[in-house]
Amino acid sequence: MMQKLPKYRSQMRIYVDIMRVIQREDNHAKPTRILYGANLSHDRLVKYLEELRTLGVIEEVVEDDRFYKLTQKGIEFMNQFRAIERFAAAFGFVI
Amino acid sequence: MVGPLWFVGFDSLMQFVAFIIAVVIAYQAFKGYRITKQRTLLYLHFSFALLSAGLLIDSLAGFLGLLSRALRGTLVLTVVGYSIYFIAQALAYGILIFAYVSQARTLSATSPSLWVAPALGFATLQAAPIPAIKLLGRLVEYHPVAEIVLLFLVFYITVQTGLNYSATKDRNALLVFLGFLLLALSHLLFILMPFGALLFVIGHVLQLLGFASLLAMLLRVTTAK
Repeated sequence: MMQKLPKYRSQMRIYVDIMRVIQREDNHAKPTRILYGANLSHDRLVKYLEELRTLGVIEEVVEDDRFYKLTQKGIEFMNQFRAIERFAAAFGFVI
Repeated sequence: MVGPLWFVGFDSLMQFVAFIIAVVIAYQAFKGYRITKQRTLLYLHFSFALLSAGLLIDSLAGFLGLLSRALRGTLVLTVVGYSIYFIAQALAYGILIFAYVSQARTLSATSPSLWVAPALGFATLQAAPIPAIKLLGRLVEYHPVAEIVLLFLVFYITVQTGLNYSATKDRNALLVFLGFLLLALSHLLFILMPFGALLFVIGHVLQLLGFASLLAMLLRVTTAK
C-alpha cells in the first residue's frame, strides 16, 4: 500500500529517472536508451536533457555517436538523493 | 517529580539525548526537502523540529528544577515544561499523521482507517473528565489523559510504519517501526505510572531506545553506498 507511486511524476522524479538510466549505462548513455529507460517522449527528453545540462549535472559527449554522462556534480547529487530516498522510504514516504 | 527519587535528573538527561537525535532527524528531513521539494519531507522536518523543541524545553525545565529544588516554584517550572512538551508532541505527531494522510490521498489509497486513531485521540480528549481547554491550563506532569492522547497519536504512526515495513521488509523501515513502537510503549507506561514508580523509569528508557532506533536508521541511510 505504501509503495504505490503517484500518478504523475514530479520534475525532480523525471530528472532522477534520467540520471539513473545514465548511471545504469555505465555513465555513458545514448539518447534512445534514456528515452526508453526514463519513459519519456522525444520532445520531453530533449527539454529535460537541456535543463539537466544547464544545471551542470550531465554533459553531452559527441564521439562517433552522441552520449550523455553525469558530471561530478551529478554523481554527488545522485549519492545525496539516494540517501534522502532511503530516509523517506524508511518512514513510508514516496519521493 | 513523578518518578523514583534516585532517578531524578536521569529523565532530563535522557530527554536531552532524545532532543539531539530529534534535531539530527529534523535536519536530515529539511536537507531532503531542500533537494526534492517534497512536502512530506517538510512535514517530517516540522514534526521532528517541534518534538526536539519540546524535548529541549522539558529537559531544561527538569535540570533547572533540579538545581533550584530548595526554592518554591520548582513544581511550576516542571509543569510548564511538561505542558509545552505535551503540546509540542501532540502537534508533532499530528503533523506526521497529516503527512501520512496527505500522501495516501495523493496516491488515492485513502482508507477509512486513516482517520480512526486521530479521531479516537480527540474523542478521548473531549470525553476526559476535564474539558480539553481546561486540561492544558492545569496539566500536571505525565497526566494520564495527556498520555492517552499521545498514545493514540503515536499508535497511529506505529501502524503506518508497521504497514510500511510489512510491505517493504526493509531494515530501515523496521528501525523506524521499532522506534515508534517503543515510543508508543513508553506512553503506555507513563499512563500506567500510578501502579509503580518503576514504570516511569522503564518508560523513559523505552523512549530513549525508540529515538536510538531512529538514529540507527539515520546512520544506516546516510552511510550506505
